[in-house]
Amino acid sequence: MAQIQGQTILRDPQLFYWILFPITIVMVLTGVLRHYATVLMQSAPQKQDIKAIRENRNLLHGVGLRQNLDQISLSSFVARKNYLVAAYQRGEFLKDQENKGKPPANPMTDPAGMDQMMNMLKGNMAMMVPQTLIMGWINAFFSGFVIMKLPFPLTIRFKSMLQTGVATRDMDVRWVSSLSWYFLNLFGLRSVFTFVLGDDNAANQMAAQMSGMNPAGGAGMFAPGQDPHKMFLAEAENLEVVGGQHEWVLDGVIERLLGVPAHN
Amino acid sequence: MTILSTLLSYLTANPSPLRLPQTSLHLSQQAPIFLASPESSKDTQETWLVYEQLLLSCLRTGDDTSARLCLQRLSDRFGADSPRISALAGLYDEATAQDRGELEKVCSRYEDMLKEDPTNMPIEKRHISLLTHLSRTEDAIKALTALLNHSPNDAESWSQLSALYFQQSLYAQSIFCLEEVLLILPNAYNIFARLGEVNYVASEKKMEGLVESMKHLARSVELCEWYLRGWYGLKLVTGKILEQKGSERAGVERRKVEGLNEMATKKLTEIVTKARRRDNGWEGFDEAEVEAARLLIDASDAKTVR
Repeated sequence: MAQIQGQTILRDPQLFYWILFPITIVMVLTGVLRHYATVLMQSAPQKQDIKAIRENRNLLHGVGLRQNLDQISLSSFVARKNYLVAAYQRGEFLKDQENKGKPPANPMTDPAGMDQMMNMLKGNMAMMVPQTLIMGWINAFFSGFVIMKLPFPLTIRFKSMLQTGVATRDMDVRWVSSLSWYFLNLFGLRSVFTFVLGDDNAANQMAAQMSGMNPAGGAGMFAPGQDPHKMFLAEAENLEVVGGQHEWVLDGVIERLLGVPAHN
Repeated sequence: MTILSTLLSYLTANPSPLRLPQTSLHLSQQAPIFLASPESSKDTQETWLVYEQLLLSCLRTGDDTSARLCLQRLSDRFGADSPRISALAGLYDEATAQDRGELEKVCSRYEDMLKEDPTNMPIEKRHISLLTHLSRTEDAIKALTALLNHSPNDAESWSQLSALYFQQSLYAQSIFCLEEVLLILPNAYNIFARLGEVNYVASEKKMEGLVESMKHLARSVELCEWYLRGWYGLKLVTGKILEQKGSERAGVERRKVEGLNEMATKKLTEIVTKARRRDNGWEGFDEAEVEAARLLIDASDAKTVR
């Protein structure tokens, strides 16, 4: 209860116009710029060749059979399973059949992998460069200012969040430093970008980081460096296992429809 | 309301305008208005979707000038090389072809394009449907199996292949293809009904095939309570089973078949009366199908009276 009447700090009201607004505007503009830079730098999605597509989709075929096996009769299932398992084990659907047993190629030498990495690098660059620049700019011009006072009280924990760059121990948490305002903008402008640029924009920091971490997201079943033959063998094994649990949906359908208990 | 939003709301209300002649006619009548309006130069996703739908319905109704303009603007925007646009361009050429020779020319152009880029699925599919249209069924089947070899999870192609096999009276193959569709779309009630129909045709009135067919039809109406085709098939097939003796040998008690037959009759009667009265919410049925169902009910009534 030490600070009942609160602190008053005499500020130049111009601070408000010359720091708060510029930082906000610059942040929004960099976000928009980043969005368009990313769009410009994106290379067209690389075309898969027919063999890669074949490999991928035939593996998915097995997965589909395994998941929906109850829809078809046991004999139909077994026929399909035997065919697929044999083909998988022969490696019939592999992209390059010659190096079936060999260890996977180094992802660095794979041109498709290279392309992906290049894209990741570009994305990271688009994120890092402006961030570094603006951070330097803010630090050079605006560090050490207190620019505004929040209209509501906060607990002491928020001190490190709101008062970065102002090393004053006793100052009330409600005061916000310019550097903190930068960080708040950095993380809090997502909805503004969504409003300005539409839903799936590349302006947002967090989203960009997220996608940077998981570049493969849905691009294909095979991440570079994985041996497709091993995946086929695993799927063949799955099919063999799941065959024991076959339960045809058409068994007892008449009883279900008539609402009478099934005969057993 | 502006023309673009009118068209968009119309497309939301009728997601596949090509299914009915009225809807495509309505859409193609709007096309010149839309193409002349300043809104047609907006570069949004919706605009281009509208363009595609307009192109298709204009081709259907014979408004080739509007279709040409739609296609022109689409290929200006996305490039004539894009697979989707090239398929639309091919569709335009097919629709405006005057005789069989021109169609054959389009067909051989497709083949050249596929040789150049075998991953171009839209063109591959156009090629297949053009082959079907030219009644080169065997070539179409070959092309379809080639497509399914590299993309075995394409439900559309499987069902098309099934229809082609059915045409050739290769019922076992047709059933196999339909089962593949089920593996991709496990709740497709229409495919279950279709399986029932193919099984019925394939059974040649033998008990086992009939029972198989009955089960598939029963599954389809279990999934979709008001599926007219399913109930129709169920009534027909149960009737055929009841005409013969020995459903017990195939593992179904006669009592249950009778129950199903009664149930199907009840549902069909309800659908037919309501659809013919055009009750609220019962307008979607195909008129020919309703009429067929009515005839089926009348025929069975006459038989019981006798």
